[in-house]
Amino acid sequence: MTTFATAPIEAESLPPRSKPGKGRLVVKWLTSTDHKTIGYLYLITSFAWFLIAGILALLLRAELTRPGMQFLSAEQYNQVFTMHGTIMLLMFATPLFVGFANVIMPLQIGAADVAFPRMNMLSYWLYLFGGLMAFAGFLSPGGAASFGWTAYAPLSNNIYSPGIGADLWIVGLAIGGLGTILGGVNFVTTIFTMRAPGMTMFRMSMFTWNVLLTSVLILIAFPPLAAALLALESDRLFGSFIFDPANGGAMLWQHLFWFFGHPEVYILALPFFGIASEILPVFSRKPIFGYKGLIAATIAIAALSVAVWAHHMYATGHVMLPFFSFMTFLIAVPTGVKFFNWIGTMWRGSLTFETPMIWILGFLITFLLGGLTGVILASPPLDFAVSASYFVVAHFHYVLFGTVVFSMFAGFYFWWPKMTGKMLNETLGKIHFWTLFIGFHLTFLVQHWLGIKGFPRRYADYLATDGFTGMNMVSTLGSSLLALSMIPFAINVWITRKAPMVNVDDPWGYGASLEWATSCPPPRHNFKSMPQIRSERPAFDLHYPHLSKIEK
Amino acid sequence: MKFGYRLFLFLFFFYAIVTVVYWQLANEPVGITALSLSAGLALIVGYYFWFIDRRTGGILPEDNLQGEISDGAGELGFFSPHSWWPLPVALSATAVGMGLIIGWWLTLIAIGALLVSILGFVLEYEKPQSHQDH
Repeated sequence: MTTFATAPIEAESLPPRSKPGKGRLVVKWLTSTDHKTIGYLYLITSFAWFLIAGILALLLRAELTRPGMQFLSAEQYNQVFTMHGTIMLLMFATPLFVGFANVIMPLQIGAADVAFPRMNMLSYWLYLFGGLMAFAGFLSPGGAASFGWTAYAPLSNNIYSPGIGADLWIVGLAIGGLGTILGGVNFVTTIFTMRAPGMTMFRMSMFTWNVLLTSVLILIAFPPLAAALLALESDRLFGSFIFDPANGGAMLWQHLFWFFGHPEVYILALPFFGIASEILPVFSRKPIFGYKGLIAATIAIAALSVAVWAHHMYATGHVMLPFFSFMTFLIAVPTGVKFFNWIGTMWRGSLTFETPMIWILGFLITFLLGGLTGVILASPPLDFAVSASYFVVAHFHYVLFGTVVFSMFAGFYFWWPKMTGKMLNETLGKIHFWTLFIGFHLTFLVQHWLGIKGFPRRYADYLATDGFTGMNMVSTLGSSLLALSMIPFAINVWITRKAPMVNVDDPWGYGASLEWATSCPPPRHNFKSMPQIRSERPAFDLHYPHLSKIEK
Repeated sequence: MKFGYRLFLFLFFFYAIVTVVYWQLANEPVGITALSLSAGLALIVGYYFWFIDRRTGGILPEDNLQGEISDGAGELGFFSPHSWWPLPVALSATAVGMGLIIGWWLTLIAIGALLVSILGFVLEYEKPQSHQDH
């Protein structure tokens, strides 16, 4: 039943060279147009940014441990939380999506590469240089940008935020955003035009579906951000008055920023929902429950997410509360449908708890709590009470850390053999999970109560009489545990370089989507041979023909 | 491709309806602009897919429920094996932005470098017409 397609690329038929030297290896990575190599570059770079922004977060937590200023000035504190937020959202989480999508998505649709391989590399360089530029603000005389990652006008104009750190931030993000837009174009084109024969839209894996809709959201959300950033820079450089509060500029910025900012949350969430939808069926030994329902829910989230932006702006008093509140409650419905599907997938399955599965269960628990506080915040009267407090900080860390970081590690452990040909160590993986899980909840659960008691976000200090000290100390303790959890992961990656090769297509045994039908790691253009595609589980059908629905 | 235009035309109609509702309820210019431009974006892509679908007709191998891998055999297209060009394009684009901040001299130089590197990027695999029978 296996049919063969000839690989059409001349480069493939060259005889294998002897082991390349270091210089050649560097050139190979610098000039690569292979979607997998570019994906690895994205994953490695975004993980490095994750560590950098994590260190910035530790500085914030250390500063807040006790009342009084410990070692940062108020201005330095502002710079650190601004860069923490900016790096985590735009230099870690968004490119992490691009990395996973690059490595996995072409394999899952049976494509030889992405549609525009050189543009793919261009996206990566723009992301890297844009990120470095924004971060370089720390080296400038006035320090990095310090107006928060939201850069509200008029705080971000050149009277309240002088210095080139702010300019580097604005232009750096515009350049990085250009790279993201090009990536989105690339993925949409690839999914619509480069699927293998028989891979109809409704046979694509859930991860690929989520990549598609995330890319559509990128096309909608990032251009307004680029426009807003360039307009802000024009205000700063040329003295234009686009965001002058005298003519409504403050609200104009908030509308433009959040018209990007809310879809951005779903740009970060959807691909990682996709990773969950890939991993749960494999370790439940069941097909995904309600495949088409999940797709419908994903499309609904993508469509609705552009109509909820002003729920970040309730407290301005200048937005249509009933409209945005209603839309925000509405978007909770498809998200709930996804939970229903994930639980339905596990229901009565033969569950095993390998490391990727544990990470996904951690994701489900954490994201559920974040989603519930999100429903609370969607209600304007409740939002007014806790707006801009640590309740909101706790909420979005549960949402974003829950989806992005938990699913990222799930994806790393799950696809590590596919990417490197070697399995990560299970014991260390579990130590890694439990330290991170406990560390995370210790850090952020207490922040809900901190917010309710009235501790405002972005404050560098508080009084001993405020009664915030105990909870802040718990939170700081948790953050150090969270940071230490990176050590087992680092050891794991280090010892795994000597692990034996898996030498099978599907080391987990029950892989469903097409990437498990090629070797680990895959060859340059991905497939030596490809199975017939008759369902959304082509690799499972190939490995378990007696269980598949394919008629011989 | 049928699903392609259905998805984007659905998004177009959804955003168009939301735009009208938002206009009636809130009458706030930034949101109306952003929502209607989103509807326009979806319409452009959806119309393009619809147009291509109508032109090509028939079912593509990847949309065929009974598609065999051999249906896609033969040349898949041209894939660049490796390329230096993305690096200078991105470097000069970054330098253009950097020049806005540290001085116009850099922007002017970088715009020249950007044009040259874009030409290099675009024309990398262009060959004289007579040799285009690979």
